[in-house]
Amino acid sequence: MRQIRNSYFRKYPLLYSCLLLLLFSCGGERKPAETERVLQDGLGREVHLKKQQPARVMALAASMTEMLFAVCDTASIVARTPHCDYPAAALTKPVVNNYPVDYEQVLLLKPDLVFTVEGITPLEVADRLQELGVPVYYFKFRKVEDIFSGLDEIGRITGREQQAKQLTDSLRQHVAQIEARHQQQQPPLKVLAIAGYDPIYVYGHSTVITDKLRILGAVNAVEETFSPLSREQILKANPDVLLGGTPEEMEKSFFSIYPELRKIKAYQHNRIYAPTSDLMGRASPRVVESIRELEQFLYP
Amino acid sequence: MSKAAYFILAVLLILLVMVLGLLVGSFETDAGLLADAFFQYNPDNLTHFSIIHLRLPRLLLALVVGASLAFCGYLMQAMVNNGLAEPYLLGTASGASLGAVLVFFGIVEITIAGIYMPSLFALLGALGITLLVVLLGYRRGHIIPTQLILAGVALSSLCTAFVWLLTYLSDTEGKLKSVIFWSMGSFERASWQLLPYPTVALGLALLLFLFMQKQLNILLLGAGRAEALGVQVARTRWIILITVSAVTGFAVATSGTVGFVGLIVPHVTRALMGATGKYNLLFCAFVGGFFMLLCDLLSRVVYPPAGLPIGIITSFFGVPFFVYLLSRKNYNFSS
Repeated sequence: MRQIRNSYFRKYPLLYSCLLLLLFSCGGERKPAETERVLQDGLGREVHLKKQQPARVMALAASMTEMLFAVCDTASIVARTPHCDYPAAALTKPVVNNYPVDYEQVLLLKPDLVFTVEGITPLEVADRLQELGVPVYYFKFRKVEDIFSGLDEIGRITGREQQAKQLTDSLRQHVAQIEARHQQQQPPLKVLAIAGYDPIYVYGHSTVITDKLRILGAVNAVEETFSPLSREQILKANPDVLLGGTPEEMEKSFFSIYPELRKIKAYQHNRIYAPTSDLMGRASPRVVESIRELEQFLYP
Repeated sequence: MSKAAYFILAVLLILLVMVLGLLVGSFETDAGLLADAFFQYNPDNLTHFSIIHLRLPRLLLALVVGASLAFCGYLMQAMVNNGLAEPYLLGTASGASLGAVLVFFGIVEITIAGIYMPSLFALLGALGITLLVVLLGYRRGHIIPTQLILAGVALSSLCTAFVWLLTYLSDTEGKLKSVIFWSMGSFERASWQLLPYPTVALGLALLLFLFMQKQLNILLLGAGRAEALGVQVARTRWIILITVSAVTGFAVATSGTVGFVGLIVPHVTRALMGATGKYNLLFCAFVGGFFMLLCDLLSRVVYPPAGLPIGIITSFFGVPFFVYLLSRKNYNFSS
């Protein structure tokens, strides 16, 4: 073997020298620093961390800020967005605009890693931050379990596995208890969760709300939808329960615009409720609180 | 084909597209069910209810709005004697958008006494901006078309800047969606309560101009020659301006801004009926109504069930047809 290698080297010394040079030159650039750590985020992107454990983190979404505060050392969280209002401790952090992203402010705060959620931060913004030396880690939430595994992941990244595990064990246990209470709901309640009145936007099928409803033995009244709903679609879905505002609010700002929708079962039986918008819209550790709130609405 | 045949064809096509439009929706509908909805209506049957209270007013609104915009486009092109003129030239669309957007951003409640405020404010915005444009285009008792167009463009830009400013400062995604939805046009809010306003405005305007078609045709010769031929140019222009602002205002207030129809349908009319036909305005309204119905149907077939915003479809399907028509007829604006 050694002879063969030597003979090849003797035959093509120039070729080998070039190859070795190329290898070293590439290695010089691409070789990860000893402390560098490569992660794969929720979108399958590679995220290069300069340190093994990020000491300074921040989020570009209100839900992510809640998740960071649930797992990380509070002192390690260096900023919040103008929308981040929970927990109260978040309000003491410097504000970074997330729409459009204030790049200078981000650089000033020197985060080792920025967390965000698919759909909130455009990919080109993440690329720009990456160019500026700030790695961005995306999460994608479709199910309640994704939130828990996200918390575990934040724990692994920031070296707080134990804290994250304690939290997620407890949250998973609560969800299992709630789920056990509602496995025999026959027929399941059809629920329509309104996100916008004019035009009518709803929480579609691939949002966390669908999974929350499944845990409660209910179903989302609509299939996947990214466009506004027509009144006829809602009449056809004919939901048993409507989430989107108090009966008074919905009468004033929804049913007065669309009086034809007074035909649906939810209106006829006065099953219209106003869930807390932050609990509905944010995939955060408060998901159990959100499920409990919905449970009270669905099974008063 | 004779002109009478074109009229009959337009009416038949409108009826055909209306029937097809009544068959398309979330609830599966066949001819039997459609007939039942009309002749054995059961208010507890949600399909019947949808056909009569959602689909039919939607189609009628599309018909009226299409007719209104085409009609106003024809009037504007005749008034300024320019084939590029359209009903929104007077700043109507931008004024209406600004009015509606102010409501979306909370200047008043979304409904007051059951009246949908974005529509009311859109109407006020349309009329208000049009009045300003006319005042700027008015000099020594006369409307100066060039000045009017420039004033329209300038004030439209100003309104659009305000709309974008409010949109940029918006704190919720819902408001953004409302503004975007409004700016692309939609018949989704159609109802029997809403329908009479644009219909009555269009009906009265059509009636008035059936008697003024001759003056309009003479106006195409230019203001000087029209005066020489006994047309009271200043008075005719005032009547056109008031009519266009009212009819377009109601159309925009009920369905948002739908572009393109007011520009191309008058050209289609002249290409088919000649530049100075006696019933051009009426035919233009028919073609506008048919075109809008067809676009609404296509939007719901292409992207069911809610349909694409109507403004996208009018451009997608209108432009190729328009280009074909212009090339085929060797068409000229005023001859």
